[in-house]
Amino acid sequence: MKDNLPDKDGFFGEYGGKFVPETLMYALNELEQTYKTLKDNNDFNAEFHRDLAEFVGRPSPLYFAKRLTENYNTASIWLKREDLNHTGAHKINNTVGQILLAKYMGKKRIIAETGAGQHGVATATVAARLGLDCHIYMGSEDVRRQSLNVYRMKLLGAEVHEVNSGSATLKDALNEALRDWVTNIEDTYYIIGSVTGPHPYPMIVRDFNAVVGYELIDQSQESFGRMPDSIIACVGGGSNAMGIFYPFIKMDNVELIGVEAAGKGIETGEHAAPLNDGTPGVLHGAKSYLMQDESGQVKGTASISAGLDYPGVGPEHSWLKDIKRAKYVAVSDDEVMKAFHMVNKMEGILPALETAHAFAYLDELMPNMNKDQHIVINVSGRGDKDLNSVVEIEDIKL
Amino acid sequence: MKRIEKKLKELSQDNQKAFVGYIVAGDPDLETSLQLMHLSVDSGVDILEIGVPFTDPIAEGPTIQQAHDRSLENETNLQKIIDLICKFREKDTNTPIILMGYINNFLMYKDLINRSHELGVDGVLVVDIPGELSLEDYGIDNQDLDIISLVSPTTSKERVKEIVKNSTGFIYYVTLRGVTGSSNLDGNEIEQNIKYIKSISSIPVMAGFGIKNSDDAKLLSSFSDGIVIGSSIVELIYKNSENKDFHEVSDYISNMKDAIR
Repeated sequence: MKDNLPDKDGFFGEYGGKFVPETLMYALNELEQTYKTLKDNNDFNAEFHRDLAEFVGRPSPLYFAKRLTENYNTASIWLKREDLNHTGAHKINNTVGQILLAKYMGKKRIIAETGAGQHGVATATVAARLGLDCHIYMGSEDVRRQSLNVYRMKLLGAEVHEVNSGSATLKDALNEALRDWVTNIEDTYYIIGSVTGPHPYPMIVRDFNAVVGYELIDQSQESFGRMPDSIIACVGGGSNAMGIFYPFIKMDNVELIGVEAAGKGIETGEHAAPLNDGTPGVLHGAKSYLMQDESGQVKGTASISAGLDYPGVGPEHSWLKDIKRAKYVAVSDDEVMKAFHMVNKMEGILPALETAHAFAYLDELMPNMNKDQHIVINVSGRGDKDLNSVVEIEDIKL
Repeated sequence: MKRIEKKLKELSQDNQKAFVGYIVAGDPDLETSLQLMHLSVDSGVDILEIGVPFTDPIAEGPTIQQAHDRSLENETNLQKIIDLICKFREKDTNTPIILMGYINNFLMYKDLINRSHELGVDGVLVVDIPGELSLEDYGIDNQDLDIISLVSPTTSKERVKEIVKNSTGFIYYVTLRGVTGSSNLDGNEIEQNIKYIKSISSIPVMAGFGIKNSDDAKLLSSFSDGIVIGSSIVELIYKNSENKDFHEVSDYISNMKDAIR
């Protein structure tokens, strides 16, 4: 079996694990025990699924992209509409699940890191709903690029802590959130926003977000009578991709394609594509592919999309790459902007810049597909939050 | 006898506690680090803990983080740090040296680390590898190197048992919940936990994190085999790195050493 990982120590093959300072081990073990007890608990699952239905608005539709399909004139293109979720992205699935864990564990204080701000908004949202004290760590560079989301978090009652250390982006926000957790270990629950970090996080985040993939199994059957030929998702840390891939890992005839951010181009070194151009290393508590130099120092990243601007990736993706079960490609900022406009004009959908990476791979993929095939793109989030960035990138006067 | 064991034995025969002093290699530069290593020993440090800078040091507070960043601007790496230690050994073959850092840097220099004992290193402390795991499984395997592990206030008794099994040299007891350089020491809790470690093992226990002044040092040394001081020394080095007059560092170390006598 390929979908029964991680093992008891939190490894997917050689990737994953718990590489953390000693103080955190207690909290990780506590979380692992709690999750083990609750994941098959009927009341817990009923509450999770009720929240997904009534608060998030699930299931998200599987939508036939008619004009995009006609444009490429090969396989049928279907869109899994995570952009229609409450708060505008797939990120809410994980936070709804983890806040329930926090509630069952009796934690009163919630912390999270955020890059694009979507996970910060999703965390602030669920914390507000339960009246919990919420602190979001965000790199100052991202605070600038995603000011609308910063304001949303504040509206929701969260305190946003600007992080100036290092490259002042997602990885530094994660460092700072971990430092907060080490300091406030007993009353604080850390909601990690991707399938990254130490065990059990990559497993927990995947499991909560796998609702996307499970819905897709039924929806594919209903919409075109079988499973898709290919599933495409963007990969930063990799939670939206892992969520939609996971139930399909054991179906060998479904191709899984993750699209990383090639930034200014893989060959320039200025990108955020560790699976395409990284080596195995340890960052933020897990072993995984990593952008690093020959001394083991983590390299800076570059991407127009704050949500993908991260030098590491979830350990399960590293394992899927090595066993060749999933394929990981990368598209450049320029290709992404082209796709961003195409999806707006042809489908009336404003995708997040992260999501536009998945669409940008169509130019390469579609010419090799046939008319009787079906592909699914995970529309991981909507792009309202990116309008300021797009205006700036394209030097538009509003 | 290994250098750490020998030093701790000598101190204990004289009824003295150990002073472990931490500096970041390459802050402000490697040449000055060499000078600071000798100065620390001359002022009262018994064991040198040499910080290996990492881009993402998640256990460090702002003071040591910034020292890591400054060092990395000079392109410090483990090879250069080992060269520094070789130079130090030309004049000092008695003071034990421990490399303290993060697993990702050590993994990149596995072969060098495995040879590092013959080059003058006595122990390694990898901050982000759980103590019950064996470094051998990650390719770091040299019986001559002591493996120093951390135990924290949140470590369960069962885990302490596993951790002491895999540790040699000494146990580094993290005295608070937090990053390096924090405050709020709870003397009572620290005493209880160190007593527990000593009840199940004969390995020496050093107490560190959050020691700022001579009162802290005195208190913690009363129930441990010695103390570790990092952030305060690093801060004083930074303050004086412009004119490179490190009298203040020297005075601070002597005061702390006096406090634990």
